[in-house]
Amino acid sequence: MGIALVAVSVMSLSMGAFRIPISNVLGILSDVVGLGFTDFNQQESNVLLQIRLPRIAMAVLVGGGLGITGAALQGLFRNPLVEPGLIGVSSGGAFFAVVFIVFGSSFPFLVYFGGIGLPLFAFLGGLINTLLVYKMGSTAGRTDISLLILAGVALNALSGALIGLVIFYADDAALRNFTFWSLGDVGGANWSKVGIAFLLISGPVILVLSQFKNLNALSIGENEAFHMGVDVQKVKYILLLSSAMIVGTAVSLTGTIGFVGLIVPHLIRMMFGADHRLVLPGSFLLGACLLTFADLLARTIVMPSEIPVGIITAIIGAPFFIWLIINVKKIRS
Amino acid sequence: MLQAQDIHFCIRNLPIIDKASISLSPGELTVILGPNGAGKSTLFKVLAGDIPCKYGKVAYNGAPINGFSAKNLALVRAVMPQHSSLTFPFKALEVVELGLLACGTSHRADLVEEVMKETHTWGLRDQLYGNLSGGEKQRVQLGRVLTQIWDKKPFPRYLLLDEPTSSMDIALQHHVLRIIHKIKKRNIGVLAILHDLNLAANYADKVILLKKGRILYQGPVKEVMTAANLEEVFEHPIQVFSESEEAPMIIQSVPFIQNHLEIKLA
Repeated sequence: MGIALVAVSVMSLSMGAFRIPISNVLGILSDVVGLGFTDFNQQESNVLLQIRLPRIAMAVLVGGGLGITGAALQGLFRNPLVEPGLIGVSSGGAFFAVVFIVFGSSFPFLVYFGGIGLPLFAFLGGLINTLLVYKMGSTAGRTDISLLILAGVALNALSGALIGLVIFYADDAALRNFTFWSLGDVGGANWSKVGIAFLLISGPVILVLSQFKNLNALSIGENEAFHMGVDVQKVKYILLLSSAMIVGTAVSLTGTIGFVGLIVPHLIRMMFGADHRLVLPGSFLLGACLLTFADLLARTIVMPSEIPVGIITAIIGAPFFIWLIINVKKIRS
Repeated sequence: MLQAQDIHFCIRNLPIIDKASISLSPGELTVILGPNGAGKSTLFKVLAGDIPCKYGKVAYNGAPINGFSAKNLALVRAVMPQHSSLTFPFKALEVVELGLLACGTSHRADLVEEVMKETHTWGLRDQLYGNLSGGEKQRVQLGRVLTQIWDKKPFPRYLLLDEPTSSMDIALQHHVLRIIHKIKKRNIGVLAILHDLNLAANYADKVILLKKGRILYQGPVKEVMTAANLEEVFEHPIQVFSESEEAPMIIQSVPFIQNHLEIKLA
């Protein structure tokens, strides 16, 4: 899986509107680490290091983050149809983002945030929604999973309606801005954004990885996990907050990219079984692969123009989701 | 000793459990019997720590249950609920291995193999749990909870089983109760909810008769499981046959109609 990720990344580095031969890709990379190959030109080097590499790094972080979050949430909710959008992070992020895009110019103080304003706002919205869903879903200190899902659905609907309302007041430029943001795009990545993503995503990912035993126990049921010695409430907190952090960061930097969190854990389970010791890291790697590859498609299919990567993942993801629903039906009947 | 004192549990002011006190010693099997809705499962959940109990005390080995962390409680008692479903494709072996979680070590191949052989599930180890039959699933779950408390410890442990044999055929039911009989010797006290009066009568050390949230009778089998007591609890005519001290007890619920009589009437 790791090898596949490296292969996809190198391929991705090479291909695009500006083609760089793979040998030169390797040459530039080895030059950076100080091996001193000079068999390339400066333009190639700039495209690679300043545009393509941060973009791929972003795709790896976001794709991996979405993959592992999907795996963790499916395990926590004991439901194979769960995806990160469910607990309201994506829609909350989207709502705050559209508010920022449409009304941002009317609040001069927001200028101080500069380019980080939108990500910060979206992250905040995602976190608020997650906390609200979590509050609604718990009674007397215990979290009821079905209530939590219902609350997520309700808040998603409300966020959607509010987004519509805000868009109603938007001018054309803001509308176009928001539409592209909401479709998801890793194109705007630069090293400072990758740095933010790395800071905010790597911590929660490690935290989620450390919960593999508890997630295995939770697969049998919450009561059973408690009987086996799992502090269920604490594990829920860790997983929900980590997920909100990962997805909130991802949404804020790259918009809503759907279906990665849904498909990836399933593919991993089909390949390696249900043990979270493998499912969690596997989902990170495959999510990273998938998004890097989808991004490669996004910017090569209609060269030199680009399709938002969210469209690509949805085109792959939606039919898979339908297949999944039909299969679940078969199993139940 | 597992002790529960004056357990009182209400839902919307309706008592589900009314002043129940029980004690379970290591090395003995106590069976809870009672009609549907008697509060057996609720009492079971209070003892397991699933439901916090406002009125009354539950103590494991002398220490109150609310003082235990989930992890420490898991070292003292294992619980097998009536049904456990798995959404994801775990293998039977992986399910049994989950029982190791509390011990801190995730790899004890010898222990897992011993338990799975004991529960006749070793042959199922590579099959997906979801594909097993009801009885097989129960045996795998039994394997999981046995794994959790199998290792001998300086303190007694307890095993709580909620209808562990409900989906099993006759031979397997006896097999499971024989396993329970064996593990009692590992300084383990077992509490089980059963529906089969004959299994209870012939394997249990003590019996608790529960009706409408109240413990009507509890004590040694021979004293408690009399026809009169059982009829009172189950509200149905019951006969108890016991030829001698050594012979197995046979308990028969008396049918309202008999086949040949019905034919005559028709």
